[in-house]
Amino acid sequence: MAKHGKIRALLAQFPLETHSRGLLTVAGMLRDSGMEVVLLGNALPEQIIDAAVQEYVDVVGISTYCGGELALCKELLRAAESRGTKNGTVFLLGGIFPPANIPKLKEMGFDGTFLSATREEIVSCIETAVAAKKKDA
Amino acid sequence: MGEEKTTREILEARMPDRERVPLYNPEVLKRIKEEFGRWQSTALPEKDRGNWMVTPQSILGSEIPRALLYTPLDNANLDYQADLGFSGEEPFTRGVHPNMYRGRTFTMRQLSSAGSPEYINRRLKLLLEHGATGTNLALDLATVQMYDSDEPEALGQVGTVGVPVDCVEDMEVIYRDIPIDRISTSIVTHYPRNTAIVFPMFLVMAERRGIPWDKLPGSVQNDFIMESLVRSASEYIPPKDDFRIQCDNIEFLRKNVPLWNYVTLNGYNLREWGTSGVTEMAVAIANGIEILKEMVRRGHDVDWIAERIAFFWSPANDFFEEVARLRAVRRLWYKVMKYRFGAKRPRSMWMRCHVQTSGVSLQREEPLNNVIRSAYHAMAAVLGGAQSLHIDGYDEAYSVPSEEASILALRNQQIIEAETQVTQVVDPLGGSFYVEALTDEMEKRILDEVDDIEKRGGIVEVVTGGWLHQKVTRFIEREQKMVADGTIKVVGRNYFRDPNLKTPDIWVHQYDESLGQAMREKLARLRQRRDNETARRALDALVQACKRGDNVTAACLACARADVTEGEMRRAFVEAFGAWKSPLFA
Repeated sequence: MAKHGKIRALLAQFPLETHSRGLLTVAGMLRDSGMEVVLLGNALPEQIIDAAVQEYVDVVGISTYCGGELALCKELLRAAESRGTKNGTVFLLGGIFPPANIPKLKEMGFDGTFLSATREEIVSCIETAVAAKKKDA
Repeated sequence: MGEEKTTREILEARMPDRERVPLYNPEVLKRIKEEFGRWQSTALPEKDRGNWMVTPQSILGSEIPRALLYTPLDNANLDYQADLGFSGEEPFTRGVHPNMYRGRTFTMRQLSSAGSPEYINRRLKLLLEHGATGTNLALDLATVQMYDSDEPEALGQVGTVGVPVDCVEDMEVIYRDIPIDRISTSIVTHYPRNTAIVFPMFLVMAERRGIPWDKLPGSVQNDFIMESLVRSASEYIPPKDDFRIQCDNIEFLRKNVPLWNYVTLNGYNLREWGTSGVTEMAVAIANGIEILKEMVRRGHDVDWIAERIAFFWSPANDFFEEVARLRAVRRLWYKVMKYRFGAKRPRSMWMRCHVQTSGVSLQREEPLNNVIRSAYHAMAAVLGGAQSLHIDGYDEAYSVPSEEASILALRNQQIIEAETQVTQVVDPLGGSFYVEALTDEMEKRILDEVDDIEKRGGIVEVVTGGWLHQKVTRFIEREQKMVADGTIKVVGRNYFRDPNLKTPDIWVHQYDESLGQAMREKLARLRQRRDNETARRALDALVQACKRGDNVTAACLACARADVTEGEMRRAFVEAFGAWKSPLFA
């Protein structure tokens, strides 16, 4: 978290994702809600975690539209685990993916999954999850 | 750059200064004006007098204010011959063909689905069996971004949103038993580099089947805007180099595949990403102008180049705006071709287009509503005179379309074509006071934005510097707020939302992880089987062609013949030009 107590979020997408509208929309929503946003763009799972560590973020948000997210999300959390940031970071996934995958994503360690959501829903999910992680830490 | 005249300045200087012949008699207009004043002040409710102009708020709308009623007073300056003319004649406002859909109806070109080359071959045949009249190949994410199925970045992405194409062998499977010399093929190659890499694989497939290239009808996208602006990726090449490849493709295809539409100036994806219909068209036109300038610089005749330029548009929710702007851009493109570039042949002046109904306008809530939305989008495209049409699946917000949604979308097209009778009459909304006024306004606003782009140094410059990226980002953020606060009404989402809204039981495409493995094994076999020395030499020649300024498409063709894979060619381009990162994330 930033020194002045603002929540910091890193927003990224996997290397080949072509759609960025969701990422830009959520970036705007989070900034409007007083959070700090690091807009990383496309990167490999381990690069996303490297950036998250360097930027001291509380939240890693991934935008996915094209499918195949399970394999990549698994890699992301594996990388987070090996860098020791899995437990202290809030992981979110938004975009288009099969609802049937949500239980698997939760089990993997995702704190929030959004197929369609308002700014209030996303912000409240982040605030609750960040608070819970801080309590655990 | 600053010395150069803009397109608007050139048009103003060169358009003939003949006296306009107004359609409406000035004496009659004077009487109408008096009557209009009387009607406004006596018959019209007072509250409407104060709110005569209303600014429509819709998803992807242009926010052009509309009057409550349009009359001949709004078309007072209309000169029938100069502004509308007859269909198939200058200025082509009413359509590019004299008989329009009576001669040939719009091509029903539904996108193929996602999956293996074998599966997509079956899907293309299924759509053709159900009456599709062209094929439309969607590539998977790895192929669009030019990665081989066995690169680390392709993990989990092989066969998502389209079909994987790594090499010629995949093309052979996809088009097996499909008569590509009789049914036109569209390949959604997006980027210039992707076109340079993938399209030669199609050509080599045709060559191996014994089909001469001059018999192949079809189109590719080949638009640098897609790569440098609309799409995002970890690594692209600089826009100026991408623009050059776009032009190399055009040159190569024009010479070697004469029936092929070598560039589809893609407004669609830009608009869907987040922009108004005005900016969508202005950017595509500005790119078209830049291409023609470059081709003239390379010594080509404008008429030789221009006749195979095609456009791709997204019609969204504001029905009359969509009809009007198709008519407007047809007239504007005609003026650009005739008066800026001095084209002589009518065909060079045609704005021919494929239209795909807007996907971003479709909603997750109550997805069957999307069938209705898409039908309006498609109707606007047909009333606007589109040449070719894809209707989105109603399950757009859930996944790539199910077979059922795909066929339903095709049925939507067939109902418009065979039941509504709208295709019987050419340009049926022509002459409407409203549509003509809106057509004029659209044309003016599109040209204004082209002018703005040109004054900022041209299309390559505004993309490289990130000006257009910022414009879209602002649009997206603003639009999202307008949906969130209900300024833009979306039925079922923020307007008449069902308090007990349930997630419908909808088929969702589940990604098949085994496909990645099959494709990786195929690539391993290919690298064993091919002559790797020949492949290496072809790749070296590609790097050299990039650096020396030789035509890169020809070099890619040699690579395809040597069974070089897509990812290998991508890396050659990056080696030659260096990597460039989108200003969005820089």
